[in-house]
Amino acid sequence: MRKIINPALFAVLVSMVVAACTDNKAYETSYCAMVDISGTYSSQKKSVVNIVKAGILPEMIPGDSMFFVKIDSNSYAEENLVTKLTLDYRPTQANNQKLAISKALDEFGSGKAKSRLTDISGAMMLCSDYLKKTQSGTQIMFIFSDMKEELPNGVKRKFADDEFEGMHIAAMNVIKLKKDSKDPEVYRKRLSQWEKRITGAGADNWTTLLDATKIQEFIDQAK
Amino acid sequence: MENLYLFPKMPGVSIAIWIVSSMIFLFFAREPMHKMIQAMSDATAGGLRKMASWIKLSAEAMREKDRKVLLESGVAKIQGEILQEFHKIDTANTKSVAGYPKLQLKLDENIAKIESDYKECGQVTPEAPGWSEAVETIARAKGSTGDRIIEKMLSEIHKSAVAGEKKAISELREVAGKRHKILGGMAPVWKRIEKLGKEINYKVDKVIENSRNIDKYMDQYQKISTGGSESIDMLSSKVTKLFIISLIVIFVGMVGAFINFNLIALPMSELVPAGVRVAGMAVSEISALVIVALELVLGIFLFEAIGVTHTFPQIANMTSGKRRIILYGSLFGLLFLASVEASLAILREHLAEAKTALDRSLAGESGSAISENIDSNITVIGQALLGFVLPWILAVIAIPLEMFIEASQHAFAKIYTIMITLVCHLANALAFLIEGIFKILMHIFDIYIIVPVQISNMFKGKSASVS
Repeated sequence: MRKIINPALFAVLVSMVVAACTDNKAYETSYCAMVDISGTYSSQKKSVVNIVKAGILPEMIPGDSMFFVKIDSNSYAEENLVTKLTLDYRPTQANNQKLAISKALDEFGSGKAKSRLTDISGAMMLCSDYLKKTQSGTQIMFIFSDMKEELPNGVKRKFADDEFEGMHIAAMNVIKLKKDSKDPEVYRKRLSQWEKRITGAGADNWTTLLDATKIQEFIDQAK
Repeated sequence: MENLYLFPKMPGVSIAIWIVSSMIFLFFAREPMHKMIQAMSDATAGGLRKMASWIKLSAEAMREKDRKVLLESGVAKIQGEILQEFHKIDTANTKSVAGYPKLQLKLDENIAKIESDYKECGQVTPEAPGWSEAVETIARAKGSTGDRIIEKMLSEIHKSAVAGEKKAISELREVAGKRHKILGGMAPVWKRIEKLGKEINYKVDKVIENSRNIDKYMDQYQKISTGGSESIDMLSSKVTKLFIISLIVIFVGMVGAFINFNLIALPMSELVPAGVRVAGMAVSEISALVIVALELVLGIFLFEAIGVTHTFPQIANMTSGKRRIILYGSLFGLLFLASVEASLAILREHLAEAKTALDRSLAGESGSAISENIDSNITVIGQALLGFVLPWILAVIAIPLEMFIEASQHAFAKIYTIMITLVCHLANALAFLIEGIFKILMHIFDIYIIVPVQISNMFKGKSASVS
């Protein structure tokens, strides 16, 4: 009897030690990319898809998640989620998933979807909901827009104090409008207002990336 | 500050009164002050000195312990070497002695053969040559007599003499040929005897060499068993050298293990796909580490079973049959792990290629551009070979590992002794410095109250002279 009990006790002890060492920290990263399909920015869809495919997808490792959301007149809606994926822990499966999402993104890029107004805040709130649900260790948002918000009548968008808590947010490929070209102060003021709103809602950091090659650096810093 | 002035309008006078009164106070408190400073000096510097002496004792105890361990291990090692030499001599002697009767028999046989050949040579006696002179004399006498009958007789005698001479010559030739043949037959026998002689010489030389080795080891044994500082230094230097070499080899081995780990960590995620992490490491990475560790363990068992290392006495004391089982088990295990690693290395290369292709395709490059660079199998073969060879190299670490464990006790004791001796010296130096500071403090105190002291001395001098 003792011959059985002793190894069993030892096995239990080892299991307890392993369980005690088990890491509860979340190492996965979740990404949410928002693309503006309103007004002049709708022509940028294809190039945005290319940036996401070449800049964000290769940075994803098994276990990471990705949400692709379109910014239209009323963005805080489930149908604004274009596609999503959580990569399998097996590298081969993860590669296949990346290929599949790349096709879905291509389809979106070549589509003719367009909106009249721009609800950036709603898309951000939708992204925030999805990212929080993943419980990933690192949560990153990319906003592909001119950052000029135009909400329809009756639509209210107010960020909660912890709306973007622990998230890293970057505005990418921000094109300048005609008014911006005439007076750069308008453009700078607009971005500065966004920074205030986003950091005020608990975001870890806010930045504007002018170059797609800086995506990797931004992700590495966020991790 | 101004509150302390006794006469606020005359700060100079106030300060002077304070100084004078403090001087008087300190003069009367001189003895207790000196005692206090001395007590503080004793408490700090004395404590440090005590600590230094305790550390010194501890270092000496450690040194003595290390010395004993070194001596014992050195003696045990030389005993082992002497035993090995004795074993060699025993084996050589057993072989030689066992072969000696046979050798002797061979030698006797060959000598007997030579003797018989020699005798045979003596028995075959050649006919004495003398026919040619007789034939010449008869030939000269043949025409000198004039008598026909005598001439005829002489002619017949001459004929028969010539025939006799011819026969004698042919017989002589035949006998000489026989003798040459016998002597020729003796040559291989001589050669055999010469070879046997060389064989005996070699064996004797071997025994002499072994005895010389024993003499050398006995000298070392005597030197070490006396426990002199020279022998301790020699042993210490040997062990330190062993420690450094084993450390270097183990470091190189660890680098190899790191490469090995990196080679299989990625493909392991394909086999052990889990998001669970233990101490920050993914389960797949831990699996790769376990494989590397298993290779090392199998290496230890392999060399233990061969008898190269002696880490586990249980294995060393096993019968050769059981050790053989462990040996084959370890070999099979290593072969299995090496094959697994080779296949994982191939999988790794395929995964890397697939990732590169995917990244390029995501970046918008065409398929033909992707396939252009992926047409060589050299990398796959190289990685597979590396995956197969590295486990065997890792297994060899078992040898320096044992050396390291053996030598580390002395090395760590030495490092520990050096460290605590350094602390001892530092404590002593600090104690000396503190003592000096307190002495200076005492002198400053005396300088401050020099006026009342001198006045007191003057009065003391007067009273002494009066008395």
